[in-house]
Amino acid sequence: MILKVKDLHKIYKNGMHALKGINFEVEKGEFLVIIGLSGSGKSTLLRCINRLIEPTAGTVEFLGKDITHVTGEELRKVKTQIGMVFQHFNLIKRHSVLKNVISGKLGQLKTFNSIIGNFSEELYEEAYRSLDTVGIREKADERADSLSGGQQQRVAIARSLMQSPKLLLADEPVASLDPATSNSVMQFFEKVNKEFGTTVICNLHFLSLVRRYATRVIALKAGEIIYEGEPKKIDEEWFKTIYGDEAEEVEIR
Amino acid sequence: MRTTSEINQSPLDIIRQNKEIERRANFIKAIFLDIFFVFYSVIVVQRAIYYKFILDLRDIPFSWGSILLVFVIPAVVSVCWTFTRTSISCKLFGIAKDNKVTKWTVEIFGWFLLNITFIAGWIITKLSIVDLFSSEGLQGAERLFSSLFRPEFGIFDDALFAMIETIYIALLATLISIPITLLLSFFTARNLMKSNKITFVIYYVLRVFLNFIRSIEPLIWAIIFSVWVGIGPFAGMIALLVHTIASNAKLYSEAIEGIEEGPVEAITATGANKVQVVWYAVVPQIVLPFLSFTIYRWDINVRMATIIGLVGGGGIGTMLMQYQGLARWHEVGLIVLMIALVVWVMDYVSAKIREAIY
Repeated sequence: MILKVKDLHKIYKNGMHALKGINFEVEKGEFLVIIGLSGSGKSTLLRCINRLIEPTAGTVEFLGKDITHVTGEELRKVKTQIGMVFQHFNLIKRHSVLKNVISGKLGQLKTFNSIIGNFSEELYEEAYRSLDTVGIREKADERADSLSGGQQQRVAIARSLMQSPKLLLADEPVASLDPATSNSVMQFFEKVNKEFGTTVICNLHFLSLVRRYATRVIALKAGEIIYEGEPKKIDEEWFKTIYGDEAEEVEIR
Repeated sequence: MRTTSEINQSPLDIIRQNKEIERRANFIKAIFLDIFFVFYSVIVVQRAIYYKFILDLRDIPFSWGSILLVFVIPAVVSVCWTFTRTSISCKLFGIAKDNKVTKWTVEIFGWFLLNITFIAGWIITKLSIVDLFSSEGLQGAERLFSSLFRPEFGIFDDALFAMIETIYIALLATLISIPITLLLSFFTARNLMKSNKITFVIYYVLRVFLNFIRSIEPLIWAIIFSVWVGIGPFAGMIALLVHTIASNAKLYSEAIEGIEEGPVEAITATGANKVQVVWYAVVPQIVLPFLSFTIYRWDINVRMATIIGLVGGGGIGTMLMQYQGLARWHEVGLIVLMIALVVWVMDYVSAKIREAIY
């Protein structure tokens, strides 16, 4: 078991109760997809796992160790083992693609070396290898914001690969991409999952993508888990429970 | 860090507690604001309108009675008023009772405040249409303007040198301020410092300190430093430097506060430490605004440097002061012309540079 979340609560300062006692486990090598409406707590959940947000109560166990209360150096060590990809890519726009990819390794570099930009040959090679994995080596020297959305997200994946992550979190990675690009980006997540055996937890909106890539699905509604199981078993009825009666499934290919 | 007791509390309790704390904080704020409002209206009515205008007194008489009237009674009255929850501040902080009394007090008192402020302003500034258009005054103005428009070019060399001095005072103050401001701006950016109690205290102390320095005008700084290091360009330069650091640190730190959070989140998630996060996720986003602010500040400093010269900060301002003292308006005319020209050119150039950067 790679991740175990027990009775997790998050209450924001404004009183918003985003997570109401979340319990689930993730096995190594799984491709877990979390679905749910906007505001159902998906993003908060992911950020509580790698402690970008501090949970209010409950525990998160990563590789058998409680990481809910670790701080300082120890917390940074945990973070280096968990990669994360975001909806808006969150690249450093003015930096080159290569430098963006290298920045994934920051947690393992000496502060001084990383600031003066003194990187070893191996590090550059590793960065190029990551770029090869997502198929955009030729863009290495271009500015990150000159790339298209899909390409930027691939750079973000390459950046997280630099961490050699045990766990890869993806917060709605295709929500700001067009359908065709969405599928190709999802294929890279599948590739990472299959080739490197990296466990993936991914927030998604489109059920067609969920059915295609997920090995297991968790559905959140108003901060609670209302469904857990195989993607195939989400039928019309479950869909209406998750997304509300008004909702109708949109097909994306 | 969260304490164990907090973790064991039920989530609903925490929500209720947060609301209660917010309500109490608002109530305390409302008390202070009400005291201020009542105090303000008493002071204005008594001092400005009654003493100065109706009685036309020069010195304000001292008596314990008036102290009681001005300080104690407003405080008591306003606190009572706040406790009834019908006061204007209660309304502002959203904790007022929703009834007719609130509506009336808020409306009447609001109008009252607005009117006494306007009346007091009229009395205090001694607004007078008669003075503005008196024939004597108009003649004086005409004499002055006709001299200013026939500048004396005999002192052109001296004025040019003084002008160059002024530009260099501004330039040096701006250049020296850059590294100091850069360093300070990171420590005064809320989003970088709020995470930890110690850094937050540093942030707060620095903010208050810089606000204090900034609230003192460069003109006052110039007076202070012309006593400290002697009258001349050096005093002017240091005065500008101090004020530039204080105001640019605020602009810079606001630029830092306004950056996109996404890249910061992404770099933090890789396990990078604080210094690395700042260098990789913050710095690339603020280089351009920093450059732009600095260039704009140089432009401002050139204008300020001329003013600072008036109180002994060196440069063209000092020269202007000397000729003005001798009432040699033709020379003053030349100096004013040169200042206007340089300010216009600086304004244009700095705008063009800033445009080119973005």
